[in-house]
Amino acid sequence: MQRPATLRLFRRGPAAEVKLTLLVLVAFALLFTDATYKSTNPVRELLSATLYPFQRFVMLPRDLISLSNDWFDAAASIKSETEALQRQRIELAQVTANAALLGAENAQLRRLLGVFEKAAEHPTVVVEVLYEPANTFSRRLVFNKGSRAGISVGMPILDEGGVVGQITRVSPMTSEAAMLTDEIISIPVQVLRNGLRLIAFGSTTPGKVEVRYFSSDADIREGDVLVTSGVGGVFPPGLSVGRIDQVQRSSASGFARAEALPSSHPERYRQFLVLQVPIEPDLAVGSVKPAASKEPPRANPKSK
Amino acid sequence: MAPPPVPLPRPVGPNPIDHATSLFFVWATLVGVWLLSLLPWRTWPMSPDLLLLVIVFWSLHDARRVGLLTAFVFGLVMDVQDVGPLGLQALTYALTVFGAQSLQRRLLRFELVSQALHLLPLLVITKALGTLLGAFLVSAWPGWSWAIAALLTAALWPLIAWLLLLPQHRLQDPETTTG
Repeated sequence: MQRPATLRLFRRGPAAEVKLTLLVLVAFALLFTDATYKSTNPVRELLSATLYPFQRFVMLPRDLISLSNDWFDAAASIKSETEALQRQRIELAQVTANAALLGAENAQLRRLLGVFEKAAEHPTVVVEVLYEPANTFSRRLVFNKGSRAGISVGMPILDEGGVVGQITRVSPMTSEAAMLTDEIISIPVQVLRNGLRLIAFGSTTPGKVEVRYFSSDADIREGDVLVTSGVGGVFPPGLSVGRIDQVQRSSASGFARAEALPSSHPERYRQFLVLQVPIEPDLAVGSVKPAASKEPPRANPKSK
Repeated sequence: MAPPPVPLPRPVGPNPIDHATSLFFVWATLVGVWLLSLLPWRTWPMSPDLLLLVIVFWSLHDARRVGLLTAFVFGLVMDVQDVGPLGLQALTYALTVFGAQSLQRRLLRFELVSQALHLLPLLVITKALGTLLGAFLVSAWPGWSWAIAALLTAALWPLIAWLLLLPQHRLQDPETTTG
């Protein structure tokens, strides 16, 4: 196949090598700024805002189908939902009665001890998964609401099972979340049984959360429930995180690590709740920062 | 009698075959495959990179319109879409297109399957570079699915190139007989 050669005596524009070098430099500059200033990247925000209408456009068939399904199944789904709610109401009535009793008792004990509790009531935003990005390095979710809806970096995400993850990036219309099984997320937790305070990280085992840096004789065993401890101020106390399913004690290092199965199910539903906790700028960056390569080498050689 | 007027020298127009691919067709295929890439099928870790194939195709067949800069911008957009390190896919795309364009003279003399064999090492190497850089930035090794993705991408080259050449065959046939 003879391609007609373009009869151009002089090359216009810079040579391909020069162009490539320039583009490689730009790419490295972008990569560097992106890794260093994680949450504020004007290039990404601009592109993200430009992308949004196209993302909505290509997802239109899916949205239309789910909309029409909702429309046609409305009666049936309302019926089944009502039944489920009825059952839940009866179950919750007992829990509420018990909780009211415990609450009163707790308040009395706190008064006796002189401990004051701040009522932690946070506004929430319901978000929906816009799409699941194809990323080989980490699993993220992109939601359909962003900073315009009052979402900012660091806010926790919940479903009915407990903590799902944390917002890692926002643009005006969308926000990006890392699951709690992601390695960049760390959550201060507490063992529900004995109040042992720990920090839960995303595990190197996919789909697991792990707690580490505690001494090998710590009282923790399989089946223990982890809840957020409220230390650090980002995650309010008492949210369910997971259940310990494996404890590894190393007599050589004197430390132990345990793996927990998350109690939330980010893969099952499309709607989540974002807790609008007040985020201090440093805190938000600090809680997400460990992703950068400045993190000290991990002390878990057994994981590979 | 006035002498007959000397015809004014006029610039020779470009070969019409050279412009066989309309601007509309090039950009429609690019934007179409880009929109396709926004759909969730790419969450499969071994999914081939159709967008890159189309960019490489046009960078070989219409180098004046589609080149390094186009590849870079599309890569950047895909970085934002995939919420990966910003600039990583842009770098990979630009390197792939540069490699393909430096192979252009040789590449276009082979039939499509041999072209795919030529592109395979290029795709694997650029993808490996991107993955290594990404692994360094994220400090996590994503496994080997990217290599299979590069293989599949190269394997799809004959199909994609054939599809994109289809509308041009009518115009290119006389060219192949004369040239």
